[in-house]
Amino acid sequence: MLRTILTYPFDSFGRHAYITWFQFLISYRRTMLGPIWLLVSPALFIALLGMLFSRIGGNDPAVFIPHLAIGLIAWTLITGFITSSTTVFQRGRAQILQGGLNLVDIVIINVFTTVLNFLHKIILIVIVFIIFGIDVSFYSLVSLIGLALLIANGIWLSMFFGMIGARYRDLSEVVQAIMRIAFLATPIIWMPGTDGRGGVMGAFLVYNPCYHFLELIRAPLLGNPIAPLSWIVVITITIVGFTLANFFYKRFAHNVPLWV
Amino acid sequence: MKTDAPKPRPLLEAKNLTLQVPIFQPNDRKLLSNPSRFLTDLYFSRTKRGIVTILDKLSFKLQRGERLGLIGANGAGKSTLLRVLAGIYQPSSGKLTVNGVAKGMFEISLGMNQEATGLENIYMRGLQMGLKLKQIKELVPGIVDFSELSEAIDNPLNTYSTGMRMRLAFSVSTIVEPDILLLDEWLGAGDTQFRAKVKQRMEGLVESSRGLVLATHNTSLMQSLCTKGLVLSKGKMIFYGELDEALDLYKQQQKK
Repeated sequence: MLRTILTYPFDSFGRHAYITWFQFLISYRRTMLGPIWLLVSPALFIALLGMLFSRIGGNDPAVFIPHLAIGLIAWTLITGFITSSTTVFQRGRAQILQGGLNLVDIVIINVFTTVLNFLHKIILIVIVFIIFGIDVSFYSLVSLIGLALLIANGIWLSMFFGMIGARYRDLSEVVQAIMRIAFLATPIIWMPGTDGRGGVMGAFLVYNPCYHFLELIRAPLLGNPIAPLSWIVVITITIVGFTLANFFYKRFAHNVPLWV
Repeated sequence: MKTDAPKPRPLLEAKNLTLQVPIFQPNDRKLLSNPSRFLTDLYFSRTKRGIVTILDKLSFKLQRGERLGLIGANGAGKSTLLRVLAGIYQPSSGKLTVNGVAKGMFEISLGMNQEATGLENIYMRGLQMGLKLKQIKELVPGIVDFSELSEAIDNPLNTYSTGMRMRLAFSVSTIVEPDILLLDEWLGAGDTQFRAKVKQRMEGLVESSRGLVLATHNTSLMQSLCTKGLVLSKGKMIFYGELDEALDLYKQQQKK
C-alpha cells in the first residue's frame, strides 16, 4: 500500500479529485441551497451551544465560541474519516468488481470527499474569527501542519477500517457508538480549564488521540502553545497507523473483492 | 482465424489456479419453517463462515491469436474465472501469468449515477476507466453519436428507459479497446437496428484485441469466435483443448 501511495501518479490524483467533485455536486443537485446545507447544522450548533455552554461553563463567549467552532469543524473531519472508512469498500463495490478502480483509488476518493466537505465548513471558522476579532499570526500556520497530518492519517484509517469493515460489518456500528461518546469526551463543547492536563480532566485529554489531533489544529489558530506530547502522539499514530495498514493491506487486500 | 507468428510467451498461462472464497451464511434458515424461532434467530444467530472452492486447480495455456471459450453450466465458475483473469480476484493458490492487460466487461451498467445526466455519466465512467479528461472530451461526440442519445444526453439518467440506459452503458464501456478482452456473455443492447451496430462494434473489438476469453451459452457464437474450449464443471476443469471437442464433450455430459 505504501509503495502504491508513494508512487501514485499525479494525474490520477487529478482524476480522483474530479470524480469526488462530481459526486459532491450530484448529491446536492436537487436541493435549493446546495452545499450550503453543509453549513446549516454546524452554524446552528455553534451559535446555540456556544451561547448556552459558555454560560454554563462560566467561560467568556469570545474565548469559548472560537474554541467550539474550530473544535466542531475539525471534529467533522476526524469523525468523517473514521465513520466513512468502515463502509468505504462496500460503497465502492461496483467499481471494485468491474476492475475500474483499485482499493487505493477508492480510499483516495473517500479521503477527498471528506476533505471537500470539511473545506466548505472552514468558512464558519472565518466568520467566527471575524465576529470575535481574533488575530492570526504566522504561528497560526502551524495549524496547517496539523491538518496535513490529520488528512494523511485519513488515508491509512480508510484503508485499515475499510478492510476490517468489509469483513466484519459490525465495525460501522461499533465505530458510530464510539465516535458519539468520543465527541463528548473530547474538549469541544467544554474547555479543559486552566489546570489543563494535570487536572480532573487530565486522563480525558492524555489518553484521547482525538484530542491531540485537535490540539495541533486548534491551538495554533487560537495562539496557544502546543504541548510536545501532542506532537509525539500524533506522529507516533501516523507512523504506527501506516505500518499497520500496510501490513494488513499486504495480507488481506486480495480478499476485499470477495468480502464486499 | 488468424495465423500468428510463433511467440514464445503465451498470452495467458494458468498453473493449478485455485480460488477459494469465504461465504457468509445467515444461520436462520429454519425461520420460514418455524416462526417461533424468530426471536432467537434475530438476536442470537450468527453468520456461519464457510470456505467454498470455486475454481479448482485449473491449468491451461492460451497462445497469441487463440481465443478461448469457457463452457459450463450456470455456477460452474465461468464468470469467476473471468474476474480472476482480469485481476479482480487474486488466486488463492497456483499461478497465473497474463502477458498483457486483460480487461473485462462485466455488468456494464453497474456504477451509473441515476441523478446525473447521460453526459456526466460518460465522463464519470471514463474517469473510472482511467481515461484523462482530455481523452474523454475527444471521445464524447463518438459515444453520444453511437448511443443515438443526442437528444436525451443532458437529461438525468433516471428519466431514461431501460433500453436507453443499456445503449449508453454499452457505448461507454466499449470505447477503450482492450489488449485481452474478457467477455461474460456477448453484449447485446437495444432494438434490432441498434443490435446490428452493437454486433459490428463487438466484432471490431474482438478483431483489434490480441486475445479473447468468452463465456457464453450461445454455442454457434462460440464456434464462430473461439478456437479453444475450456469445459468447467463445479469449478473443476474437465477438458481443455480444441473448441469442437470441448463442445462435443459438454453436450455428452449434459445428456447423462
